[in-house]
Amino acid sequence: MPFAGPTTMRRVLAVKHHLVRSQRRLVLIAAILGLLVTFAVMMLTDTAKEIGAIGLAPWIGLIGYEVGTAGGVAAAAAALGLWIVAAEAQGGSLSPLTIGIRIAAFLLFAVGSSIVGRRMRESERAHRTQAALQSALIDSTLDGICLTDADGNILISNAPLRRLSIELGLPAEGTVPDRLLAVAGRTTEPERYRTRMKEIAAKPMESSADEFELVGSGRVFRGYTAPITDADGRFDGRIWTLREVTADRELDRLRDAFVAAVSHELRTPLTSISGFLEMLRDEEQSLGDAGRMYLDVIRRSTDRLQRLVEDLLLVAQIEAHRLELVLGTVDLDQIAAAAVEAARPTATEKEVDLLLELDGAPAVRADAGRLAQVVDNLISNAVKFTEAGGSVTVSVVGNGPFARLAVTDTGVGIPIDEQGQLFSSFFRASTATRQAIPGTGLGLVIVRAIVEQHGGTIDLESREGKGTKVIVTLPADEAPTA
Amino acid sequence: MKPRVLISEPNAEVRRLLELTVERLGYELVKAPPAGPPPAVDAVLLEPGSPESHTLLHRFGGEVPPVVCLSVYPREAGLAPPESVAYLVKPSSTAALGDALRNVFGR
Repeated sequence: MPFAGPTTMRRVLAVKHHLVRSQRRLVLIAAILGLLVTFAVMMLTDTAKEIGAIGLAPWIGLIGYEVGTAGGVAAAAAALGLWIVAAEAQGGSLSPLTIGIRIAAFLLFAVGSSIVGRRMRESERAHRTQAALQSALIDSTLDGICLTDADGNILISNAPLRRLSIELGLPAEGTVPDRLLAVAGRTTEPERYRTRMKEIAAKPMESSADEFELVGSGRVFRGYTAPITDADGRFDGRIWTLREVTADRELDRLRDAFVAAVSHELRTPLTSISGFLEMLRDEEQSLGDAGRMYLDVIRRSTDRLQRLVEDLLLVAQIEAHRLELVLGTVDLDQIAAAAVEAARPTATEKEVDLLLELDGAPAVRADAGRLAQVVDNLISNAVKFTEAGGSVTVSVVGNGPFARLAVTDTGVGIPIDEQGQLFSSFFRASTATRQAIPGTGLGLVIVRAIVEQHGGTIDLESREGKGTKVIVTLPADEAPTA
Repeated sequence: MKPRVLISEPNAEVRRLLELTVERLGYELVKAPPAGPPPAVDAVLLEPGSPESHTLLHRFGGEVPPVVCLSVYPREAGLAPPESVAYLVKPSSTAALGDALRNVFGR
């Protein structure tokens, strides 16, 4: 079945409906002819007695089924008349009882078949309405959708898919995988595209979501396919969806460009502010207490603004997959110890107990600077969200071929329904916003991206009011350490 | 004799800051004329993201002195000219800028 053309679900239904109506007329004509032919046979062969009234009953049933009760009763009356004529012409004498029984039987047959016919037609109408609604539903989505059988042949397709297939220049015939493969050369990454298509064909029971961009036009499409199974769980076909995401990608590009432009523009005034603040340091003693306090506020705000700019740029790099790591053999114990010492003044000032537990974890292959950023971020978060009298414990242990760093605090915790969003850009837990704890909602996004780029994982366990534990697991360096 | 430093920075306030910093570090500040060949200097401190900086370097002809970049763009942006000997990202501390210039002059 081609993507484009008259074989849409709606058109198929219309054609089917037309065929059904034509078929009904033919059946009606055939039934009337059948009635007449049976009568003629009775008359010509003198077999009215042998054939009997029952020979006319099927035609009454057919007419009642197709035309309804009135038609059925009319057919019953006609059949009875023909039978009486034939029987009496052949010298038979029909008693009123015999005729009465035939009348009753013919009427029952006519009414019964008309009821069955009406119910069947109602059921068919309901089915047609349902199918038309379903067809309208899949035609009115933005996504192109089609359903294929186990061999990849199209069973159903919707209007958006037909439009997209024309725009993409997909061939009108063939299985869906073959048609998709035919446009590989028009994509920006033809080899990757071909490989993905072959993988999908080789693994029928797997779902797959992929994006591809067309050369020249820059249009980007996102395809999704998932298997359909029968009642026994056997592969029965596939559903395919195709959506144009050019506008979404353009928006991503604009957002990245905007964030980068804003961040760069902020660097210029930040340079002036921080530079002249440094100049003021020499003259700070000449200021009064109030002046020095104002200077401290400006310095803290400037530092915060600078961190925000750095974080924004880093997130833009991460989202554009441009974060580059300078890898080497790194001692996670040392990184953790340095981060704990750096955070100790703040922890002490907040009266938070900061503990370090090292257990000879294996070295990891990592970018030391980025890894330090991860550990600094997790510890400063833990200290920030822990109240006076609480504690933050940083532990580094070996776990088979992995090194594991855990930062555990006894702080405010995170509500369970918010934990899934913690790694989303700019998300801040309600426990943080309620207590006006400063932050941008970018720290954990950065931490997770860095950890994952190192081939590691990050897990979080938290209970509101009890505390939070963040666990970072990194693969150990395979190279022997000196 | 003090090492001579030429500054090319599009933002007036940052330019003033850099001029003060260079003087405080003990170097001689040299100003370039609007056109023609620039004066002989021992180093150029510039914003590589600014077109004026590239025009200035072009005016040196083949005799470009060592360049210290101080930019709003990261090093990965690839804006640094071939003569670049140090690359700092704004906002940079006076100490970092001082270190970069000291490395150029060896003092």
